[in-house]
Amino acid sequence: MSKPTAIVIGAGFTGVATAHDLALRGFEVTVVERGPIVNGTSGRTHGLLHSGGRYAVKDQESAIECIVENRILRKIVPQVIEPNGGLFIAITEEDLAYGELFIDGCQQCDIDIEELTPKQALELEPNINPKLLAAFLVPDGTFDPLRLALAFAATAKKNGARFKLYTEVENLLFDGQGNVVGIQVWDRTSGERYDLHADIIINATGAWAGQITQKVNSDVSVTPTPGVMVAYDQRLIQRAINRLCKPSDGDIVLPQRRMMVVGTTSFTVEDVDYVPVVEEQVQEMLKRGAELIPGILQTKERGAYMATRPLIKESGPGRSISRTFKCYDHKVVDNVDGLITITGGKATTLRQMAERVADMACEKLGIQATCLTAEVPLISYREYYRLPN
Amino acid sequence: MQSETRKVTLSAILRWFDPRKTEAGNWAFILNRVSAIGLTIYLYLHLIILGKLAQGPEAYDSFIDIVRDPIFVFGEFLVVAGGFIHGLNGIRVILNSFGIGVPYQKQLFFGLMAVAVIASVIIGIRMFTV
Amino acid sequence: MSETWTIKYVIYREKKGQEPKFEEFSLEMRPEEYVLDGVEKIWAYHDRSLTFQHACHHSTCGACGMLVNGVEKLTCITKIKDVTENGGVVRIEPMRNFPVVSDLVVDMSTFFSRMETAKARQVVSLSESPTDSGIKREPNAADDLYRLSDCIECGLCISACPITATNPEYLGPAILAAVQLNGLDRFPELLSWVDNADGVWRCHSAFECTEVCPSNVEPAWRIMDLRKQVVSRRVKNLFGMK
Repeated sequence: MSKPTAIVIGAGFTGVATAHDLALRGFEVTVVERGPIVNGTSGRTHGLLHSGGRYAVKDQESAIECIVENRILRKIVPQVIEPNGGLFIAITEEDLAYGELFIDGCQQCDIDIEELTPKQALELEPNINPKLLAAFLVPDGTFDPLRLALAFAATAKKNGARFKLYTEVENLLFDGQGNVVGIQVWDRTSGERYDLHADIIINATGAWAGQITQKVNSDVSVTPTPGVMVAYDQRLIQRAINRLCKPSDGDIVLPQRRMMVVGTTSFTVEDVDYVPVVEEQVQEMLKRGAELIPGILQTKERGAYMATRPLIKESGPGRSISRTFKCYDHKVVDNVDGLITITGGKATTLRQMAERVADMACEKLGIQATCLTAEVPLISYREYYRLPN
Repeated sequence: MQSETRKVTLSAILRWFDPRKTEAGNWAFILNRVSAIGLTIYLYLHLIILGKLAQGPEAYDSFIDIVRDPIFVFGEFLVVAGGFIHGLNGIRVILNSFGIGVPYQKQLFFGLMAVAVIASVIIGIRMFTV
Repeated sequence: MSETWTIKYVIYREKKGQEPKFEEFSLEMRPEEYVLDGVEKIWAYHDRSLTFQHACHHSTCGACGMLVNGVEKLTCITKIKDVTENGGVVRIEPMRNFPVVSDLVVDMSTFFSRMETAKARQVVSLSESPTDSGIKREPNAADDLYRLSDCIECGLCISACPITATNPEYLGPAILAAVQLNGLDRFPELLSWVDNADGVWRCHSAFECTEVCPSNVEPAWRIMDLRKQVVSRRVKNLFGMK
């Protein structure tokens, strides 16, 4: 019997993890990506391996997803993770009041936290604001975004997945009944156009999901919600330093290599192909970052960039939308078979998103195959470059 | 296939002289290569001249008259300067190779090249005045 | 509102089976923006067929190395104002010493393969990591903490190296630096791989790698130090010492 075939559109975190999952379940997978690996939102994440603490009060579904996946990723892909943990610190009385909710939230979500005195916190992280009022240690981490994706892609490739980069989807191909059976693509390296067919097509284009779903006249869409990130040229901390407050602008400073990254803001845009950096927001990050780590004012800016979250379209402003993810079977939503859209979510939950969408694909095609990705360690990310395509 | 490799190599060699790359270490590298080529050519010329000895005193003397010409003297001056540059820079490379003075490789380069220039000038004055 | 400059981007274009050429694009850029922003803008608004490598936009992934006005730069952290002026030119070419795949995209598979052979680690303990001066570090806890290594495997050092230019078999700066960081005592099996005509002894001290490294790796110093490691290892082996 021939293998079931799948096309994954998009080589962001969701796409590469989905390719890995499907390849392990015996699919013949082709990933089509219009640029290089993780050139969109995924590559531009600040790289926080969420403990879930950030969402433990208001968005517990996301928080639980985060802590579960945090533990799994530490196990399967330690090769790209700074595993040092993180702190939530209170600077103002208002922050301190939020602390009560935070403790309850973390307990409900099974996130291990340890309360520290300000003195203990300063011993661990001498460069944080000495005026802190309270601190909690959480199992945060930092990962390298490109290499995290490459580790998934490499393992997928080892299991037979093929990657077609710089290849943009121009049209969907339909059978007589209006169901999707393939895609027409444009290879940007050669200018060539050709068709690809598969049993199931998975739209994993994140903030760009609407560009594919509109081809089947579907309402399934996302709210592209960019935020600014600013990198500074010194590493004054060894752990992620979170502001103990509800999700807000500039609520985190992350260590990464010899740098620190401060994030982020939140607003909505229509055009996501190019989102210019807003200078005022960069200044705001420096100000907010300095409230957590005063020494940041003596460092130099090393980079500033925008990353566009793919938030699931629901009513309400950006920060109040849940950070969880959703899978849409277009057969159910729009009566168009052969196409699944997955969007929303966050970097930390990439594996779980892939599991969910692969479950859906298997169910649709009547395939019995269990998800193995929580157990299988990923091979070296460099194998992505070494393995033949 | 082979000709293609050679083409790449030739353009690669031309890139040594890319003026946009002006860092000290790279200039040292270029100077060392050029002076090495010059000294190698001189070595062969030198052997040819020595070969004249075998043809008897007349042949040798008439040849020596030709090389008294200032153009040849200037050529000899280049050999001396090349020797200083190559030799002194070689000292820097040897020191660096064993981890000595690596953070000061630029200063070392400029210092040794200053020595090479001064020494060449002194020898040059003697060559042209004596 | 902040000032905008008019910049002429001159971009190297090469597609499968076609002659390479340069194409010009005129852009309005703020001097504070980064060179990569301009390249991305060209793709977004002017020419969708332009291909280039990028991911993190803040110098942690190492994908966006290119030649900017002839010099190796990580384009995501290179500000427009540092490489040109109002009305000026930004000339973008792919990195040297790698085969071009398409436009600014190069094939780095040999490089990554060698990095893998070198057992280069991305996550290193804090005590192994160099630090900028003046940074406080918690006492006695250094061994429990880790960080991503300095080397982001961008390939800029390979592109800048005049030895690699004439001898592609030369292992290259980043690879030798990775062996030095791990130490031959840790991986003695790498000794013969680096103690070799195409290995650590091929370097001719041009120091271009250190000049262009965007990430403080200082490959040239590490190559010199690796030579010491090689010699000491050989001497020890000679006397049958461990």
